[in-house]
Amino acid sequence: MAAIPALLPSTAFRDQLRRRGGESAARCYQCATCSSVCELAPAARPFPRRQMLLAQWGMADQLAADPAVWLCHQCNDCTVRCPRDARPGDVLGAVRSLAIEKLAFPGFLGKLVGAARLTWPLLLALPVLFWVTLLGLTGRLTPPAGLEAGWAYDALVPHSFIYAVYFPVAAWVILASWVAGRRFWTALGASGPRSGSFLGNLMPALVEVATHKRFGSCGAARPRKLGHLTLLWGFVGAAVTSGLLIVGMYIQHLPMPLALDHPYKILGNVSAGLLIVGAAILVGNRLGDRKAAGASSAFDTFFLSVVVLVIATGMVVELARLAHAPSFALSSYILHLGFVLCLFLTFPYSKFAHMLYRTLAMVHARMAGLEKR
Amino acid sequence: MQRIGVFLCSGCGIGEALDVAALERAASEEKAAHRAVHPCLCSPQGVATIRAAIDDGSVDGVLIAACSPRAKVEEFSFDPLKVAVERVSLREQAVWCQPPNHEDTQLLADDLLRMGIAKLAKMSLPVPFTAEISDTVLVVGGGVAGLEAARAAAAAGHPVVLVESSPTLGGRMSGLTHLLPECPPYDVLHPNRIAELVAKVQVDERVTVYTSARIQHIAGQPGQFAVTLTTPQGEKSFMAGAIIQATGARPYDAGRLPHLGWGSSPNVITSAQLDEMLAKGSLQRPGDGALPKRVLFVQCAGSRDPQHLPYCSAECCGTTLRQVATIHQQHPDIETAVVYRDMRTPGQLERFYLAVQSQPHTMLTRGEVERVSGNGRGPLQVHLRESLLGNDITLEADLVVLAVGMVPNAADGEAVRALHDAKVRAEKGDSETQRRDAAALAEQLAHHEGTEILHLEYRQGPDMPVLKYGFPDSHFICFPYETRRTGIYAAGTVRAPMDPPQAAEDGWGAAMKAIQCIEAAKRGAAVHPRAGDLGMPDFFLQRCTQCKRCTEECPFGTLNEDVKGTPQLNPLRCRRCGICMGACPERIISFPDYGVDRISAMIKAMSVPEEFEEKPRIVALMCENDALPALDQAAAQRQQWSPWIRVIPLRCLGSMNIVWIADALSRGIDGLLLVGCKSGDDYQCHYVRGSQLAQTRLGNVQETLTRLALEPERIKVVELSHHEFSRIPQIFNEFSAEIEGLGANPMKGF
Repeated sequence: MAAIPALLPSTAFRDQLRRRGGESAARCYQCATCSSVCELAPAARPFPRRQMLLAQWGMADQLAADPAVWLCHQCNDCTVRCPRDARPGDVLGAVRSLAIEKLAFPGFLGKLVGAARLTWPLLLALPVLFWVTLLGLTGRLTPPAGLEAGWAYDALVPHSFIYAVYFPVAAWVILASWVAGRRFWTALGASGPRSGSFLGNLMPALVEVATHKRFGSCGAARPRKLGHLTLLWGFVGAAVTSGLLIVGMYIQHLPMPLALDHPYKILGNVSAGLLIVGAAILVGNRLGDRKAAGASSAFDTFFLSVVVLVIATGMVVELARLAHAPSFALSSYILHLGFVLCLFLTFPYSKFAHMLYRTLAMVHARMAGLEKR
Repeated sequence: MQRIGVFLCSGCGIGEALDVAALERAASEEKAAHRAVHPCLCSPQGVATIRAAIDDGSVDGVLIAACSPRAKVEEFSFDPLKVAVERVSLREQAVWCQPPNHEDTQLLADDLLRMGIAKLAKMSLPVPFTAEISDTVLVVGGGVAGLEAARAAAAAGHPVVLVESSPTLGGRMSGLTHLLPECPPYDVLHPNRIAELVAKVQVDERVTVYTSARIQHIAGQPGQFAVTLTTPQGEKSFMAGAIIQATGARPYDAGRLPHLGWGSSPNVITSAQLDEMLAKGSLQRPGDGALPKRVLFVQCAGSRDPQHLPYCSAECCGTTLRQVATIHQQHPDIETAVVYRDMRTPGQLERFYLAVQSQPHTMLTRGEVERVSGNGRGPLQVHLRESLLGNDITLEADLVVLAVGMVPNAADGEAVRALHDAKVRAEKGDSETQRRDAAALAEQLAHHEGTEILHLEYRQGPDMPVLKYGFPDSHFICFPYETRRTGIYAAGTVRAPMDPPQAAEDGWGAAMKAIQCIEAAKRGAAVHPRAGDLGMPDFFLQRCTQCKRCTEECPFGTLNEDVKGTPQLNPLRCRRCGICMGACPERIISFPDYGVDRISAMIKAMSVPEEFEEKPRIVALMCENDALPALDQAAAQRQQWSPWIRVIPLRCLGSMNIVWIADALSRGIDGLLLVGCKSGDDYQCHYVRGSQLAQTRLGNVQETLTRLALEPERIKVVELSHHEFSRIPQIFNEFSAEIEGLGANPMKGF
């Protein structure tokens, strides 16, 4: 094997890793307890021992192109058993956050969100300020006078505003994700040959995402799996409800707001319920057994906080309408719209991007024959 | 002994399995002056019957036919100067391992009893040995082990003379800024307190310190070592009771490691050189005096390598961790890397390893350093094989530190002696060939010239014998500090590679042994391993043929020689193993309670049925240190074996005199089983060379047997460890079957 020149481990990488909660990688002495207890690691390419080594050496490029980093669900079966307290689960979490930053398009946004430890007030406040400014400029910072009971939010912020903001943002997010996803997919391809079609392997991967079957095989993280699955289906329900509402408004011409017993409304409220339960489980888990839950880096906390803020303001918005409190409703709505914008815009750069990369890694694993134990 | 009392115990099932009354009758046939049976001989009442017989003068030899001599030792202890005691192990050797109330079991017990009486009849009482014994402990070497040894001996009230060859005390520890953690939580460096220790020893009025001093010579024996030193103040002579050699170790010569860059680049240094720099606070690249940005440590530099030091020096991993932590303390920006084969961090050191690993700018990784290349200018290239990354890699570093192992500061006494002998033969050899061979040998051993440290006036050489890696020989697991020179104890890194806290503990341990030795010498008692044995070897020199076998074979250098080769006994050096007794062809060596004729008497006392088909007889000569305890253990588990075996315990298989084999075969004994300890590099023999010597002697005997048309298979040597007790029935039964296969001893009945 040809000798490769290698320097001492990159100090910069170690510092980055330390800030992301992965400094414990240095404690690893390569006993491979982690790889042998991992339920998810493929027998042919076990992890995370090797990834711990790459992290020690600071080999950021190899880590960014390693599917194993994303096949890990951070269940922390390894962390709770590590004899050196090197916390492989947390190290991979930190490595993932660095990979998201490294793959991000454009790079500066990746750095901005990557530094959430410092930039979180900006990231949260800017979208809210955007809405305040937009509504202020259009004279809609106070609710119109003489609202009758049964008013809809369209009366406060017209739907056209929503479409004008979120459709371009969605397009941008899709573009940014596409570019980053392509980068990742190409890098993955360099790690080994793949066979089969992308779409043919995407379906089973999505089924896996929908059922969390692999996640369920992790021991230490059962509560997290439940919370995560609930949250996922809550988001799916919310997205479906949004689609149905567009159909309802523009094709069925249903009167808004819908009655509480309307099927669309029921679906929306059930989804909201799932979101609340899921978020509560995840937050409670983080506050409980710290070792099994994993370290909470600012990067993780930022994403979870935005999700919680979106859900909480969403609930307040609905309750404020039912309580016929237009002023309070509008201010809550502005916050809600701001946080949703934040969640959208940071999708390719925050922990939210795991949806993209993990799905791609799972497809790659299937195509590269890595999924079998 | 004249008046033998036989005390039979019928407890522990002996009375149920044997006809004790018949045994008592056998004792009376053997003319025992006093006989008694007690249902529980070890009870106060039982012991009282023995004491009463001793006190009223009716017995001077006590035979206790009960349990193993290893059981009830306290109960059956009587004044050794007043009465001789022999124990017959009816319980372990007959009752527990044979079917009860069987004819053969009774015959076995009968034989054991008669053998015991025969031996006891030949025993005598030890003559008290008195001599003037010096209380002084001589400590050679003023490093941490020597200083602690001096402090410990002085604290116990002994005068101490501490000799150090360099001008200052403290040894290799005095240059260190810090030590490894010594207290919880074991993750931060510990201050080096060697200066305090030096000061404590220097102000201790019991300790006389000679620095820049050398040993001129040491004569004599434990309790009476006559020591002469050469010091800057002139020659100093004094007596010492015991000696502690704490001469330490030196780093392995990095000059033999050119592949690791030593010599080709000034920026490759040893850990000892790094310690010097760190002590001065002037870490730099020797090549250009600049502060290095990256320091790389190569572990096992020359260690665990058959070409260099085949052993692990045990402390280099800790030393490197200490140095990495010290560098980080002095220069937090310097990056350090450690390339190891295995990090060996026993005990609490593991915590420090973890702490250093977690330190910023530090990286520990596994790999084999194949070579280090570069010159004084650019960075060094360190080529690694078998890195964990799965390929060969090259690392760059500004400074490479070789963690070299330890070489003991000890002279190979036997080699020095061999060199001396070869030189004499080369001068005055009998033939041209002998002179030429001797000259060649002298050439080969020339590097031992002038290596002497202790300058002992011992026939077997001026320093202690060493193990194969050059450490002074000792039974280091069972008897640390022991060496093959009674009264001289090794402590610290000269004994085995170790770190400073271990060396300090070693100093205390060796001091305790030295004090034990002095106290035993005052009573004329053996100190180790037959602690308290008052019997001294007796040489009937009128019949000595000056064959020198005893002086050469004694593993402990007990015997010097006069010019003619007559042995000169130094009784306080003796460990009472009887190896000389086994070696002596003239059988002139004996102990009060052990001797060639004693064992011969036992062989002659057993009954040998003339009809082989019914009752073959086998004598098992068994070492009392490992083989006999193993037998006791097997018996305690009620394992069963052949009833034809008669066990005779020996102090050491090396004390086996071949006349016993002749005696046994001529008496019609059908087979002899010799059970000793493991020999070889991992020997377990309490007396180092016993089984090995027995094997050599037996090789000669077996040739003779073949000439006499006797099957050499009738004699078998087995090596057995204490823990292998479960092999005993198999060993006995297989040998019995082999002997039955061979048929009767043709000399039976002659």
